[in-house]
Amino acid sequence: MSRIGIFVCHCGENIARTVDVAAVAEALRDHPGVAWSEDYKYMCSDPGQSLVRKAIEEHELTGVVVAACSPHMHEKTFRRACAAAGLNPFMCEMANIREHCSWIHEDRDEATAKAIDIARTIVEKVKHNRPLESIRIPVTKRALVVGGGIAGIQAALDIADGGHEVVLVEKEASIGGHMSQLSETFPTLDCSQCILTPRMVEAYQHPNIKLHTWSEVESVDGYIGNFTVKVRKKARSVDEDLCNGCGDCQAACPAKKIPSEFEAGLGTRTAIYVPFPQAVPNIPVLDRQNCTLFKGRRKGLAKDACGKCKEACLRGAVDYDTEDTFVEEQVGAIVVATGYGLYSIGREQPEGLKGYGEYGYGEVPDVIDGLQFERLASASGPTAGAILRPSDGKEPKTVVFVHCVGSRDPEKGMSYCSKICCMYNAKHAMLYKHKVHDGRAVAFYMDVRAAGKGYDEFSRRAIEEDEAEYIRGRVSRIFREGDKVKVWGFDTLSGEQVVIDADMVVLATAMRPQAGAKELAQKLNVSYDEHGFINEAHPKLRPVETNTAGVFVAGACQAPRDIPDSVAMASATAAKVMSLFSADELEREPAVAVVNETTCIGCMSCEHVCPYGAVEVKEIRGRDGALQRTVASVNPGVCQGCGTCQAVCLSKSIELETFTDEQVYAEINALAAWD
Amino acid sequence: MSGTSETRAGATAGGDFEPRITAFACNWCTYTGADLAGTSRLHMASNVRIIRLPCTGRIDPLFVIKAFERGADGVIVSGCHPADCHYTAGNYHARRRFAVFHDLMGFVGVDPGRITFSWVSASEGAKWRNVVDEAVSKVRELGPFTAYRGLIDHNVSADHFEGLLTAVRADPAGSEAGQTEAAQVGAAVVTDDGDPS
Amino acid sequence: MKELRDLARQLLTDGTVDVVVGWEDSPRGARPIFAATPDDADKLIFDTRCLHNLATYLNPRRKQVTDLGKLALVVKGCDAKAVAGLLREAQLDRDRVVLIGVRCGGVCEDSMASEPVELTPETIAPRCFGCDNREPHLVDHLVGDPLPEPPAPLLTLDERVAALDALTPEERWEYWTAQFDKCVRCYACRQVCPMCVCERCVADKSRPQWIETASHPRGNFSWNVTRALHLAGRCVGCGECERFCPAGIPLATLNRKLQLVVEERYAYRVADDPEVTAPIGDFRLDDQQEFIK
Repeated sequence: MSRIGIFVCHCGENIARTVDVAAVAEALRDHPGVAWSEDYKYMCSDPGQSLVRKAIEEHELTGVVVAACSPHMHEKTFRRACAAAGLNPFMCEMANIREHCSWIHEDRDEATAKAIDIARTIVEKVKHNRPLESIRIPVTKRALVVGGGIAGIQAALDIADGGHEVVLVEKEASIGGHMSQLSETFPTLDCSQCILTPRMVEAYQHPNIKLHTWSEVESVDGYIGNFTVKVRKKARSVDEDLCNGCGDCQAACPAKKIPSEFEAGLGTRTAIYVPFPQAVPNIPVLDRQNCTLFKGRRKGLAKDACGKCKEACLRGAVDYDTEDTFVEEQVGAIVVATGYGLYSIGREQPEGLKGYGEYGYGEVPDVIDGLQFERLASASGPTAGAILRPSDGKEPKTVVFVHCVGSRDPEKGMSYCSKICCMYNAKHAMLYKHKVHDGRAVAFYMDVRAAGKGYDEFSRRAIEEDEAEYIRGRVSRIFREGDKVKVWGFDTLSGEQVVIDADMVVLATAMRPQAGAKELAQKLNVSYDEHGFINEAHPKLRPVETNTAGVFVAGACQAPRDIPDSVAMASATAAKVMSLFSADELEREPAVAVVNETTCIGCMSCEHVCPYGAVEVKEIRGRDGALQRTVASVNPGVCQGCGTCQAVCLSKSIELETFTDEQVYAEINALAAWD
Repeated sequence: MSGTSETRAGATAGGDFEPRITAFACNWCTYTGADLAGTSRLHMASNVRIIRLPCTGRIDPLFVIKAFERGADGVIVSGCHPADCHYTAGNYHARRRFAVFHDLMGFVGVDPGRITFSWVSASEGAKWRNVVDEAVSKVRELGPFTAYRGLIDHNVSADHFEGLLTAVRADPAGSEAGQTEAAQVGAAVVTDDGDPS
Repeated sequence: MKELRDLARQLLTDGTVDVVVGWEDSPRGARPIFAATPDDADKLIFDTRCLHNLATYLNPRRKQVTDLGKLALVVKGCDAKAVAGLLREAQLDRDRVVLIGVRCGGVCEDSMASEPVELTPETIAPRCFGCDNREPHLVDHLVGDPLPEPPAPLLTLDERVAALDALTPEERWEYWTAQFDKCVRCYACRQVCPMCVCERCVADKSRPQWIETASHPRGNFSWNVTRALHLAGRCVGCGECERFCPAGIPLATLNRKLQLVVEERYAYRVADDPEVTAPIGDFRLDDQQEFIK
């Protein structure tokens, strides 16, 4: 006989303002199977939880329903409270009368009637709950970090320093990410590579870090504590063990004019290359798309058209016949740190984006984006650090910086703010002025967002010390006129149009997730939002976890973010990973499927549909050992509790604990119209 | 067990019909999306009651049938977008199962407006609000589904359909013209006295 | 036919099988026979009255049949599809049964006629129209001469489905509820269907009772709709359900509708090949979803 306690929360005014919580408690008091009913201001608070514990003891409750917020908020809280009072935690459920009721309705009568329905439905469900025990599964204490930018490097170092092995997978030839392209970082104007490269080397040399560069995640199977990851090591054409980084191959390569990705298109590289001199590992890759030899092979030439790099290599490390290889890694946790890309200023746009034709679609060579400016300013960049404009190499005397290109623009770009552009625009203005003392730096801004430590002071410096001119307004058109770049803008504070004859324009383009981030998210089975940013488990309280257990997220792949926040987030994920690894076994919710071996006919439809391969064939033998029949059997360690097996089973011979047929039936029945 | 009868969805004091809608929502996407709609304070019609399932893969057409039997005027089945299922493939199986169920329901005469299928992700609070409001509005238009739960007392003899169902093809060779002369279904096997031959 | 009788006699005398399941002639027309001796083998016939789907005997729940030992089964094309379905769903060991396929030119609807029935538009069973398996593939032996295409019936199953599709939803509701009104829940349809092999049918599950067991139209609606859904992608179109239904409910038309749905949406036709995966339980990334918001 059920003795269920129901606790209706006011949640301050959040619920009580719209729902008559006392009436809900009253309506449930006489419901069959309810032994205790009360309402209270804040059920999740200590005194609130004490009420639950007290009622369990005093009224010998067999089940608990807390009518309050969403189970996603506090199911764990109340289950812990029940366990503390000696009631099996799986006899406790929540009725969502806040997110699904008080917060979305205005009419008090309607909302109260609905809250009563919701509460009653969950009470009926709980009557069929069963006292379950958590499942324990082993944990592989190795981590996978996807992405070798500053966030990935930080996470890898922290986990490795914590004593666990880390597999770090980076799709480019070198780790370092976009931070390696930067000239200086705000707000300190530290040389970016100077602070980054020691970390890169540390990661490379760390005994606990296994580095796969020029590699991508091919597939991920399994679940928290037990992931099997297949890594595709793309064909480098260079043997990583033989190469000693001497660079002779690059010197010998005849294809010298390939646009360099690292230089953001402003410089060139050879076909066999390291992206930048401080690359880690300092082992080149051969770009088979642009390599003369491979072009010839694709055309079907009988004899190879080149081979200079192989000739030049004294260690015999160049091998044109390598193929992509695959490595399987067993890990217990995954950190996603794939970083960002910039909104393209070119004519070719990804699906759904229109681009900025009024800014010339990137066809004016002196209209560049932020990363390109970083390369100009960088001492190791294509202009050795001199600010020279791309079209004619002359020093620009007037540079216009345009904020918010593609950001805060729901119509043509992204609706969100890219967070870092106000800061790096100030930085760019300062860097420019430091190098071109008589130059004029003009910035068109909407707001100046400089909220970090030392950030506002930094951006004020650009204006007050380096005389950058900040005009509040948007730019309507940018086009070439003669050898000038004309900028038409508006100054909202004076109310006047502004026309600037610039020599160079830098567009602060929106920060977006990397191309291919969505596909990776699907492989990892993590959810992402409409922009492609990875979804965190909870925006306030669980910012580095995803809703996929065991997969964590750090850095700009989750939202636009600067370096200190990315580093902090990466260390946070490392803490989560190490907490996961701190026990040999992981406790899992017992939401697993169980087969009724009496009625199962062994058709194995469940096995065919199970996404995790959790179902096996089991033989039922008589006492004489003769095979009577075969049935399905579920491995509780592997089953993730989706219930697809149950819906496909024609005879209903498989039940998912925590969402059994009895429980669902009870909920549907509870909503019956009794009239 | 009638609760507060004047305020229950089903019959308001004014006598206007308020649909009762049972929604089967997957925990990871739609349920969370509905939570987000709440957090964002997006107001919507109050006629929907959500039953939480782990995945659309768990949702059986029998749930929908039972909901109609127990008084629902409309049903919503909602889960994660394809490729985004928390359990990787549950919604793909649900998609096929519900395509067939949807077609069968239409074939036996249940108005498709009574069953809404949707993909609502965890970040689509606004979409959930739209799905709810549209479903409620549509079902309100269609009226109470008393025809379904009232089937328990239904008493229609086959005689009534004798005229509707007669074997006919004017041209034994089976031409189009002969077939459309009267859009009627052959009862060559089915006769009123139940003789299987 | 002689070829069949000779083969059956051979299989029995050399001990390949313990019993041959086929048809014999009788005072009540063509009926199934379990031929265990050479004399019995001489009684085997095959003509247009052999409309029963003998694959139903392969249901592993039929203990009296499994106790008989190794079987040879005479199968038409539709019957062979059912055998393939049982193999696909692990209900049958392939080496437990020898399949004797017969070339088929269609069957009539009156197994109890005293003589083989000549096939005309009036007598042909509507389900035979458009048959794609008149020479079954999944067989160990194939007997019989090739027979001509069956004549078109007065109304094919597809035409019946189309006629119903052409009605308004309200008319279809009236039609089907009237049909389901007649159902007495004898479950003959389930008993004869070769694909209905569950040890404990969902209709007999009482905790919880998803399908109301009383034979009022609401419970009947649930039963008939659920059975049709459970057969989606599995029904072989043998028509036995409709033939057996004592209440005359057009079950073959109902099941045919879902066969057409599965064909249109998933390019799937039931074939007598156990290696082909059934459509429900399978999926493609680009499956149709026009009905989903």
